[in-house]
Amino acid sequence: MNVIDQVASDLFSVFLFGSVQGAVFSLLALGFSLVYGVGGVMNLAHGGFYLATMYTFYWCIKVWEQTILMSIIITLIVIVIICILTFVLLIKPLQHTEIGILMATFALAFFFEQLVKVLPWSDNQTHWVPNIIKGNPIELFGINFPVRYLWTIIGAIIVVVIIYIFISKAKLGKSIRAVAQDREAAQLMGINANLIIMVTIIISGLLVAFTTFLYGAGEEVYPSMGWGFLIQSFAIVVLGGMGSIPGSVLGAFIIGYSRTFCSYFIGTQFAEIFPIIIIVFMLVFRPQGLLGKKEVE
Amino acid sequence: MLTKIRQLLSIYKKSIKNFFPSLKAGTKNIIKDLPNQLNNVKMRIFTFKSGLTILCLIILILFPIFPETEYYISILMYAMIFAILAASWDFLVGFVGQISFGHAMFFGISGYSGALLIQNLGISWFASIFLGAIVAIFLGLFIATPCLRLKGPYLALGTQAFALILFNLMLSQKELNITQSFTDLDYILQYFILMGFMIISLSIMLIIVKSKLGTIFKSIRDDQICADASGINTTKYKLIAFIISSFFAGIAGGLYMVKISSVSYGNFLPLYSFYAIIMAAIGGLGTITGAAVGSFIFFIIQEIFSELFSASGGQMEAFANYGPVLVFALFLILVIRFADQGIMKPAVERLKELFDLLMGR
Repeated sequence: MNVIDQVASDLFSVFLFGSVQGAVFSLLALGFSLVYGVGGVMNLAHGGFYLATMYTFYWCIKVWEQTILMSIIITLIVIVIICILTFVLLIKPLQHTEIGILMATFALAFFFEQLVKVLPWSDNQTHWVPNIIKGNPIELFGINFPVRYLWTIIGAIIVVVIIYIFISKAKLGKSIRAVAQDREAAQLMGINANLIIMVTIIISGLLVAFTTFLYGAGEEVYPSMGWGFLIQSFAIVVLGGMGSIPGSVLGAFIIGYSRTFCSYFIGTQFAEIFPIIIIVFMLVFRPQGLLGKKEVE
Repeated sequence: MLTKIRQLLSIYKKSIKNFFPSLKAGTKNIIKDLPNQLNNVKMRIFTFKSGLTILCLIILILFPIFPETEYYISILMYAMIFAILAASWDFLVGFVGQISFGHAMFFGISGYSGALLIQNLGISWFASIFLGAIVAIFLGLFIATPCLRLKGPYLALGTQAFALILFNLMLSQKELNITQSFTDLDYILQYFILMGFMIISLSIMLIIVKSKLGTIFKSIRDDQICADASGINTTKYKLIAFIISSFFAGIAGGLYMVKISSVSYGNFLPLYSFYAIIMAAIGGLGTITGAAVGSFIFFIIQEIFSELFSASGGQMEAFANYGPVLVFALFLILVIRFADQGIMKPAVERLKELFDLLMGR
């Protein structure tokens, strides 16, 4: 194999694995961005939600020895309950104070992180979530590509399209957009704004849960994993624009490709610093993001 | 782009120029008023608040007299170090309104660079603390420059992102870890030196908060647009606030480095930012002393936890190690939800009412 072939093959694997990362990040960042766009709530516990679903799923299969279908149902129920409790107990009463919400959700993220260390059936080690999509790796142009990553990409596209249609066509989706545009006017039209914000948070939780099923099964879980995903989501949302669905997806794929590119050609170290460089540049030169409209003061 | 950089440079220059004269004038005034002040001191000691402060200090000073307290003294030393960190966080958030979730990076970078200086240049640990704090100031300026355009949640997450990235970078640089004892002082002497550091740092922050500079900070916190409109250069004063806060966080980091006599990625743990927040929230935002008291309460409760659970072994051991943070996370949520003034402030007020009643006022 000569050099050109080698580079072409490398670029193709960057494309493949970058798409996987982009799909995962778009699912995570979409929920984060939606909650901020609709409710004005910056949910620092978003990474904590991911942590919670991953651990619940892992415990269901490994510790409580449930079937895969049962585990999925239990995880969905758990995340919905967590979202409702978070909204009712924390976000709704603290809506008027920005610092309050930030500190409370920050504390919540730490609460999840410590909880998984303390629970009697859990510990402070790194574990592997069992793979739920079995199958031999398929070979694409000389690259071994695990089958579950194919499902990640396809599943993420389907979920994002469903969310997009839901937001733009369904009645509830229209209410969500109305609250995002002007909360008071929406309330005057008879929309229960608090309910809508709760629905948005539940949607973000469900997106996180789908990330777990589509991508997380087969990856590792460890107590401090939430923070990295939170920072990635934040970088993506800053890049794409707060509260914009196409912006989040675009930002996710840009970051996914560039991270993979960096780790292939420059070094994995640089891939970790990459989001911070994007955040700094975007905040200095275009604070509203690529596709965002809201002015950031 | 170039003009922007030039503007920023001029702002730096101006802020540094204005900062030192104001300090000079402050010290001059203090020296001029000395006889008056001394007269006032007598009066002040017998008020409630200073009486309480002096009582706490006397307890701290007399603590080493009791026998076999070496272990508890080391816990108190940690509490003092974190009191400085929590107070520096409270200074930035409670008085200037700039939320930072990344104070661990000032804490870590100062200790790290201080240890590197000791190892490579062989300077004394005392100088390394201040040099490390100066490095922390530069990091603070570097971070504040892009982040000052941000407000509220953006600033908070931006600083947190910086801190996490620094932590991740350090996680892989295992060859930079240093373990050596930086000082051979007796532990009781260390205890008193730390106490001196804590008292001086807290008093400097309290003096700044009560000076004209502090009034400007509070005006920025309460209404930035209004402050802008009344002719205050908010960017300059926010930079000054970042400088002061990162300096004291750096001092705390240097002291921590000397205390645990090693540096590693562990100095950058995001958990330390959270500690600072918890401690300040227990004491109530916007009270420097409250943050310090919160630090002592935090460490005492942590100690109680490990006494209760570590002996039983097994899963309880995990609870002894991680339980305090779990409980404090829950506690912080409850404090923010139900008592936005913190725990200390109302408690002290109740105590003061009782005191007034007893004194017959």
